[in-house]
Amino acid sequence: MALLHAWRTARVTPLGELHTPPRMTAVLLRLTVQVVLVASLWHGLYSHTGTTAGLSEDQAVTYAVLAVLASRLRELDQYAGRDTVLQHMHFGTIVYWYLRPLPPQRYHALRAVGEQLYGFAWALGGYAVCLAAGVVEPPRSAAVAGVFALSLVLGQLVLYFVMLVLDQLCFWTVRNTAAALILIFAQNLLSGVYAPLWFFPDWFITMSGFLPFQATLSVPLSLYIGRIPLSDAPAQLAIQAVWVVLLFLFTRFLWRQAARRVISQGG
Amino acid sequence: MSGSIEVRGLSRTFHTTVRRPGFLGAVRSLVNPERVAKHAVRDISFDVAAGELLALLGPNGAGKSTTIKVLTGILTPTSGEARVAGVVPYEERERNARNIGAVFGQRTQLWWDLPVRESFAILRDIYEVPKAEHAARLKEFDELLDLSSFWDTRVRHLSLGQRVRSDLAAALLHDPPVVFLDEPTIGMDVVVKEQVREFLRYQVSERGRTVLLTTHDMTEVERLAERVVLINHGRLVLDGPLDEIRRKFGSTWQVRATLADAHADVVPLPGIAVLRQDGPQVVFGPDGPDAPTVHQALKAVIERYEVTGIAIDEAELEDVMRAAYAQAGPVAEPVAEPVAEGA
Repeated sequence: MALLHAWRTARVTPLGELHTPPRMTAVLLRLTVQVVLVASLWHGLYSHTGTTAGLSEDQAVTYAVLAVLASRLRELDQYAGRDTVLQHMHFGTIVYWYLRPLPPQRYHALRAVGEQLYGFAWALGGYAVCLAAGVVEPPRSAAVAGVFALSLVLGQLVLYFVMLVLDQLCFWTVRNTAAALILIFAQNLLSGVYAPLWFFPDWFITMSGFLPFQATLSVPLSLYIGRIPLSDAPAQLAIQAVWVVLLFLFTRFLWRQAARRVISQGG
Repeated sequence: MSGSIEVRGLSRTFHTTVRRPGFLGAVRSLVNPERVAKHAVRDISFDVAAGELLALLGPNGAGKSTTIKVLTGILTPTSGEARVAGVVPYEERERNARNIGAVFGQRTQLWWDLPVRESFAILRDIYEVPKAEHAARLKEFDELLDLSSFWDTRVRHLSLGQRVRSDLAAALLHDPPVVFLDEPTIGMDVVVKEQVREFLRYQVSERGRTVLLTTHDMTEVERLAERVVLINHGRLVLDGPLDEIRRKFGSTWQVRATLADAHADVVPLPGIAVLRQDGPQVVFGPDGPDAPTVHQALKAVIERYEVTGIAIDEAELEDVMRAAYAQAGPVAEPVAEPVAEGA
């Protein structure tokens, strides 16, 4: 039964999307346009140069296209379905999260699992098309593919917790729009969505090492294209795992504090 | 399981920061915030028996919603205690959640993007209701609330009445012995209101559920509640049957008499004042706190004067409540007191 309620809760977002075909069309269009533009941009940038920042043209294009596809893994689909913490605080419906025998933190996590699986289906479809069209390179070996998969899962966990902190902020500030703009920009820049971190100066790369963002995307993608060799993978995976544990403990603490706040805002 | 509710000496104080007016005031509030304590509820005690429908009444800001939040486990009281179906709600929130259902006005707990039936299925799994039981209850609710005509529609496309009916069903699908309804029919048309009232009557009389209802709709109170608890300024003002409230605060009756002698010398009777006289037409009304009931006044007028016609106007419950709120104190925000540093 517990599995069943997990399944029902997890499929809320995918089901909502399936009931709204225009949203799916928009996602398809956006992904197609982004992949084409990003691939063209990086081919253009490499047209008069060879290896830059330790990346060949094929590696750079593969990294950039995979970054676009991975960004689909967890988008804020909840917003259209009025199921974000921000919206629940605004409408006062957050109280219902605390009136069910399913703890709010578990509900939030189950919803995210469903969203990420749904996003993964999109990313996987896009990856298959790009691979068949020769836009991205395949992983160099089965070992690389395995390490990449593990690193991607850890990276998504780190990303979930980072975005959860943003959601939890609503319990104190009701609105998190400004924080969201800052955090999403930082996440995209420091995780290497805009450009691989290898192109940034050394001090920037060093600074990024102390933040959780590069663990979300830069590490798994660098492992995939071979910019981080397999011999360095255990250390990178360990850093990702440490971030997962730290952020898990921090967000658990925030959930406890949030439970005391829910009554005075939006209740 | 007994669905009784016990509330003993319940108090809840909120600490908030006062925002001073104007630009300079805002800057001062930023640098030197002034904190105040707001006593939302003070020393409230009452019981609701299993299978009883109690109306919790009071003006805006009286403390009704705070009381309900404590009883649903969302809020922990500052002092006092509460038990709902034998469970202390704020200590065992999840256990309490299985015993209660709640509808908060127009705030829906349904999933906006999904058809209503999908929301019901999610709740069925969250509350771990067996499939056959769920289907039977849904069938029963459909007969009472006509849900099947719109339960395949996505929630975002429902009318207010359809959504509230769906929310009522959602709140009761796990068969809770206790139900909290915070202004459930606000903004609904009269037909749907009546349908909802009939549903609630059925849930109390046939299913034995305990219902705690807050509303500003006095028709709803008259149709549903036999007993009311009245709170104002966070304090309990009255706890008793509806008739008692009428007796205590409903002395706004008028007796209209047509006297046989148009020139009779009309004088006030004990506790009865002469409000108007126009020839043989005389209007009597209550005079002072010891005024008789309307029926006692009627008897007194007939015994004292020879009348050819007589009629009575009793106060509407809304007038009675207005009088009750007024006597219980002015309608205002909860009392605020400065708080010592570090409070």
